[in-house]
Amino acid sequence: MPTLLETQNLKKHYRMGETLVRALDGVSISVGEGEFLALLGTSGSGKSTLLNLIAGLDHPTDGSLRIDGNDIATMSNEDLGRHRRQSVGIIFQSFNLISTMTALDNVTLSMMFAGVTRVEREQRAAVLLESMGLAGRLRHRPSQLSGGEQQRVAISRALANRPRLLLADEPTGNLDSRTSHEIMEVLKGLNEREGKTIILVTHDANLAAQYAHRTVVLMDGVVKTDSPS
Amino acid sequence: MTFRDTIGLALRNLRQAKLRTALTTLGVSIGIASLAGMVSLGVGLQEQVVGRLLQSGVFDAVTVVQAGELGGAAQFLNGRGRGGLRGEFGGRGNGSGSTPAPKLDEQALKQIAAMDEVREVYPNIRVPVQLKVGDFSRQVALVGVPMSSKGEGAFQTFSFGAFFTSDTDHDCMLSLNMAKQIAEQAPAGLVGKTATLTYPARAKEKPADLAIGFDVHPAELQCRIVGIVERDPGGLPFGGLGPNVGVMIPMGLAKTIDAEIVFPDLQSLLREPSQSKTYGAVTVKVKQAKSTQDVEDRLRRMGFGALSVNDALRGAKSAFILFDIVQGLVGSIALVVSSLGIVNTMVMSILERTREIGIMKAIGADNEHIRRIFLIEASVIGVIGGLLGVAMGWIVGRAINFGANLYIQSQGGTPATVFSMPVWLISAAIALGVIVSLLAGSYPASRAAKLDPIQALRHD
Repeated sequence: MPTLLETQNLKKHYRMGETLVRALDGVSISVGEGEFLALLGTSGSGKSTLLNLIAGLDHPTDGSLRIDGNDIATMSNEDLGRHRRQSVGIIFQSFNLISTMTALDNVTLSMMFAGVTRVEREQRAAVLLESMGLAGRLRHRPSQLSGGEQQRVAISRALANRPRLLLADEPTGNLDSRTSHEIMEVLKGLNEREGKTIILVTHDANLAAQYAHRTVVLMDGVVKTDSPS
Repeated sequence: MTFRDTIGLALRNLRQAKLRTALTTLGVSIGIASLAGMVSLGVGLQEQVVGRLLQSGVFDAVTVVQAGELGGAAQFLNGRGRGGLRGEFGGRGNGSGSTPAPKLDEQALKQIAAMDEVREVYPNIRVPVQLKVGDFSRQVALVGVPMSSKGEGAFQTFSFGAFFTSDTDHDCMLSLNMAKQIAEQAPAGLVGKTATLTYPARAKEKPADLAIGFDVHPAELQCRIVGIVERDPGGLPFGGLGPNVGVMIPMGLAKTIDAEIVFPDLQSLLREPSQSKTYGAVTVKVKQAKSTQDVEDRLRRMGFGALSVNDALRGAKSAFILFDIVQGLVGSIALVVSSLGIVNTMVMSILERTREIGIMKAIGADNEHIRRIFLIEASVIGVIGGLLGVAMGWIVGRAINFGANLYIQSQGGTPATVFSMPVWLISAAIALGVIVSLLAGSYPASRAAKLDPIQALRHD
């Protein structure tokens, strides 16, 4: 299994008033292509910080973070923008859909930044939403959709630019258990059928054990255990 | 991301906050309207003044006086702002008394007429006479009008009748004002009637029983009224005929009256009949308006005082530039205030949309995308505000024009365009709206672009 992502001694420190917070303090992990990895930890363990660094939303303080051989640690803001558009798709706990836009527009937006033509992006967005079982919901706004439906829209948006890596930050945190499993099944399907590499951030050990190939447990900014599920 | 996509997104964002967008746009348009209105008032007034001067046909005229006698005219010009004339008169002739100033007599007139660029020279004759038409009788100013004035200045438009046919005919013209004073109901009926002009004249022979002085007797001249001029031919001191002109007669005829008339002043009383007649002021018409300055300079070198309306016009033009700048500044204040409105609106909108900006960044927007979306939002406000502002300025200008003309007409004047909005002003106003809003939008836009996506995503 070729390596898609590799971090070496990755650090993220930031100041909070007088104290220096070591959110990540030397993390070295590697993720293979097509792997389904769970990042497990309590709040403040650094799992979300690591996800944000992988997503290209932040610069690491030290260490290296290679995705497909490119070191994100040394990327300019423009390169990070391209990385976010092309290499990763991100799914949030709170869905983070734009409330004033329809489901279709939310999905096309990420393709708009990538420069896809209007006709092409609307077509692809419709196909994606239909594959998520939202065929009748294209013109609905987030407030007119259930939580599970909103997360499906968010997954469609994350897939829009065909990234190899999907990042899911507590994707089921705001959903009931039945809907949670439906969403996890969707992710599992994407991993198995389309070969998407998935990094799932969660604090739910059961969920990690049930769906992920491998679980990395973080504590106080360092890897505590790294074992197959 | 294409430009069209950016515009689409910007318009969507503006539509999200309709009221706020509308109010900000209204603010910009008021700013643009006040600036465009101010400048257009300045332009309109300048066009009026310069246009009237051009129409008066006095650009090719130089008024010549004996040096040292410029007095009132020089004051008139200097009072207009630019002192191009200061120090150019008076120095010669009357200062140290080394060389006496040349006299403005018939000989001087011939000398001036012989100059290359000069088309015509005639004295400015303006004398008080008693005008009688039927029962009407009043002391009025009589002026001589050369035949060359036909079709120029005030003589372009006749209410009734026409210009003289010959330089020596016993004909006369009246201004419409004068005609109305004589026959208020039917000034047209005066054409063809006879007017009697009475003035004090000196006798040809000095009576034997007088040691000094001479005999003065009333002379009388009959003339036929041939035309009534619509506009008062006075107004301007140079080349014009001076204010409150009562009756106009041909120049040739005027010269004979001027030679005989006795003014109630010591100089003319003591003048010997043999002494050559001098004129107070002479008008020199040049062949081409552009050589006016040249002729003026040459006349000064000859020792005369010379003035042309060019001097006044130069002063007026620079005064107008100052006027325009002041008006522009006043108008700009409104524009500055409205641009602060744009900054305020954009900052508000960024605060409201912080999370949205975070989302956009997380799904692939980079700083430049965000900056452009906000800049386009600002410039859309600018374009619409500019268009609306020009329209508002135009409507307000129209209203003021209408009001001003109602007043002008109630005062018996001819309607004028006080507000003028040429194409350059319209396009400049719209361009200014865009530039101002881009400037105002650049700070909020770069603030939005630099938002930290993680912080922004936590924002609610």
